[in-house]
Amino acid sequence: MSRRKFWTPLYATLRRNLPSKHPYFPASSVFKFPSPTYSFSPPSPSSSPSSPFPSSYDFYSLQNLKFPVRSFCFSTGSEEQSSARCWSCGAVAIAAPFLVCETCRSVQPVDHSVDYFHIFGLEKKYDIEVQNLEGKYKDWQKKLHPDLVHSKSERERGYAAEQSARVIDAYHTLSKPLLRAIYILRLEGVDVDEEETLTDPELLSEILEIREAVEEAADPLALNEIKSQMNEELNHWSNSFATAFRCRKFEEAVNSIRRMTYYERVTEEIVKKL
Amino acid sequence: MAEPAYTVASDGETTGEEKSSSAFPEIAIGIDIGTSQCSVAAWNGSQVELLKNTRNQKMMRSYVTFKDDAPSGGVSNQHTHELEMLSGASIFNMKRLIGRVDTDPVVHASKSLPFLVQTLDIGVRPFIAALVNNVWRSTTPEEVLAIFLVELRAMAEIALKRPIRNVVLTIPVSFSRFQVTRIERACAMAGLHVLRLMPEPTAVALLYAQQQQQTIHENMGSGYEKIALIFNMGAGYSDVAVSATAGGVSQIKALAGSAIGGEDMLQNMMRHLLPDSEIIFSNHGINEIKSMGLLRVATQDAIHKLSFETSVQIDVDLGNGLKICKVVNQEEFQEVNREVFEKCESLIIQCLRDAKIEPDDVTDIIAVGGCSFIPKIKNLIMTTCKRQELYKGINPMEAAVCGAALEGAVASGINDPFGSLDLLTIQVTPLAIGIQADGNNFVPIIPRNTTMPARRELAFTTVHDNQTEALIVVYEGEGKKVEENHLLGYFKLVGIPPAPKGVPDINVCMDIDASDVLRVLAGVVVPGSQQPAIPVMEVRMPTVDDGHGWCAEALHRTFGSRLNLVTVQKKMQQ
Ligand SMILES: [Zn+2]
Repeated sequence: MSRRKFWTPLYATLRRNLPSKHPYFPASSVFKFPSPTYSFSPPSPSSSPSSPFPSSYDFYSLQNLKFPVRSFCFSTGSEEQSSARCWSCGAVAIAAPFLVCETCRSVQPVDHSVDYFHIFGLEKKYDIEVQNLEGKYKDWQKKLHPDLVHSKSERERGYAAEQSARVIDAYHTLSKPLLRAIYILRLEGVDVDEEETLTDPELLSEILEIREAVEEAADPLALNEIKSQMNEELNHWSNSFATAFRCRKFEEAVNSIRRMTYYERVTEEIVKKL
Repeated sequence: MAEPAYTVASDGETTGEEKSSSAFPEIAIGIDIGTSQCSVAAWNGSQVELLKNTRNQKMMRSYVTFKDDAPSGGVSNQHTHELEMLSGASIFNMKRLIGRVDTDPVVHASKSLPFLVQTLDIGVRPFIAALVNNVWRSTTPEEVLAIFLVELRAMAEIALKRPIRNVVLTIPVSFSRFQVTRIERACAMAGLHVLRLMPEPTAVALLYAQQQQQTIHENMGSGYEKIALIFNMGAGYSDVAVSATAGGVSQIKALAGSAIGGEDMLQNMMRHLLPDSEIIFSNHGINEIKSMGLLRVATQDAIHKLSFETSVQIDVDLGNGLKICKVVNQEEFQEVNREVFEKCESLIIQCLRDAKIEPDDVTDIIAVGGCSFIPKIKNLIMTTCKRQELYKGINPMEAAVCGAALEGAVASGINDPFGSLDLLTIQVTPLAIGIQADGNNFVPIIPRNTTMPARRELAFTTVHDNQTEALIVVYEGEGKKVEENHLLGYFKLVGIPPAPKGVPDINVCMDIDASDVLRVLAGVVVPGSQQPAIPVMEVRMPTVDDGHGWCAEALHRTFGSRLNLVTVQKKMQQ
């Protein structure tokens, strides 16, 4: 059982108490965000490991994966989008996702019902063209990055910081197969417990074997060999995940993620040693 | 007494972030304060222009000469001969000294400079003094830098015919957040507000992004991504950046840097020419300073000539019966500086690896800075990157300051009708930030090369049964052990509910916001509870002052391992 279940992420308790700019700005100025989707109520008991204030900063840190379950009460359909209005000029949103106003170019508050795939204009599926992400990522940053709204209002600078950080996380999450797998599964309401104790004896002994091989590897050549082996495994299990997910066999999908997580960790260890 | 010509504002800690309310945004200027040379540039409405001083110079030596009356720096003043700068009355290499303690090897290497750098080796700021009329007058790197910046500001105000307040400054990649506060303080003392600090190679990356953007505009081609490796080496520091540029946006992929530069090569050569020079000059007497200056000038000339010639004859009478008459060739120069070159190579390799970029995938290799003219440096860059030639579209001496000026215009909200300012640099953290845990290990919480703004959190727990207090000691750097890193600050968590060791969850969260402000949060949760057991601590870093080396020692002596923490992962493995 995971002890991690017990703690609420620190930022969650503090998220909105944190002045985003300077300590001497009154905290109330940060509280003013009149975001329709932002909720400050405590999480329901059933969603204990998740955060009421979904910060998108930490999706690519494996051991810190937390997820805003709350945001999935919303459908990601465009019906809701079409009624959205710009906080600044009042213009009705034309394009979806509505991160920036097309009329006055103001950065909009974060809408957590917009998922990462949506941000990148992608269909919600696991197999995506990762090469195409960077261009879209840069397009968004050019509209959202806090450096570019430096001279604008405190309010908009706050939105820009949040939106930009969210796009960074979306980019990182979608471009890494393991993180993308965990993410897409959670969009389906399936939570992957990272710290779960390993029960599969086969996988357990395999992991121990690989760990030993890494420990004993004498030179970079040997390490690189294990690394490419790990890459093959990662590819294989990534494909298994894709198949399982497509058939909505979530248990199998979780199993693939478990495998990928371990091979990823070994790869990280190797890179540290190289 | 007459009014002092240079007024330095109070040595206050804060820079006072007041917002200008004028309708016209003030365009921030770009300043590149090099260890040896300095330049200023500004957006003139259509392009970036380097500003000149009254003597029509774009590059000015970075130094301040102390005299009986007001001090004067390299912007307004010009020595008729290099030797005058080496009389002991001038302080230079401020950038190498600023924010360092007297146990730092870089400070120790500065003891062979003509002015006084004294160390007690206990982790406090070194004693620095200039010789004025046979009196050692003490000063600080911040004060020297501030005086210099006042001159730069005055020069820019004359050139641009407007008051200057906002600046974008370039800094070395390896600067710690503590060193950054010293730079900001010097700026505040000079009445300048730092709008942004840019790691030097990222300023070059921005200039490159603009050039690529313009080429695309001209050719109407598609904006495909270009990967640039930027190597910047000046007198004091070496920096590397890998950036991915498309459509005017450059995402910094990785940074690497070290306090190694031309000054190290100069000192290695001086030691080569006169092996016990450090002992001979250690007294800093008038005659010794003079000899030291002569040796320095002769060595500088020799290194300069070795950029064009295979060997050079050195002939110098240092006085006091000391004469050097020697022929030095390229091979000797390379052998003497082997470690410097190896370090440069390893920085490039590390940066490429961190960026997850193969040398073959790099579109352009850009070498900038004073040392990029040294043939061996050019060669090692090309060899390491498996390339036959370097990018030619950038002036190696002006690239950083031009990039800073571009950023100044962009950050001031200036729009250019031709899209020349349609630019953005997405920065990463140059150094890892973490805390002391698992003994005296440095456990990074935000790894280096994390895209900013960033927020990361890591779980720790107690090492003793019923441990009710924990010391959170925050460091920045790349070393595995805490003592190899820069101390940023520390605070104590008290009131941890008594529990067996390993039970309380101590969460440490680090947050770097869009203004590059670092905050460290720490909270305690006991299993089974949703709410923090005690109020969460939130500390803006850095909190340390100049005696930070001494500080870490004292903490260790006073608390030992009583208030230590371990990472949760570590605990689970055991
Ligand atoms: Zn609008």
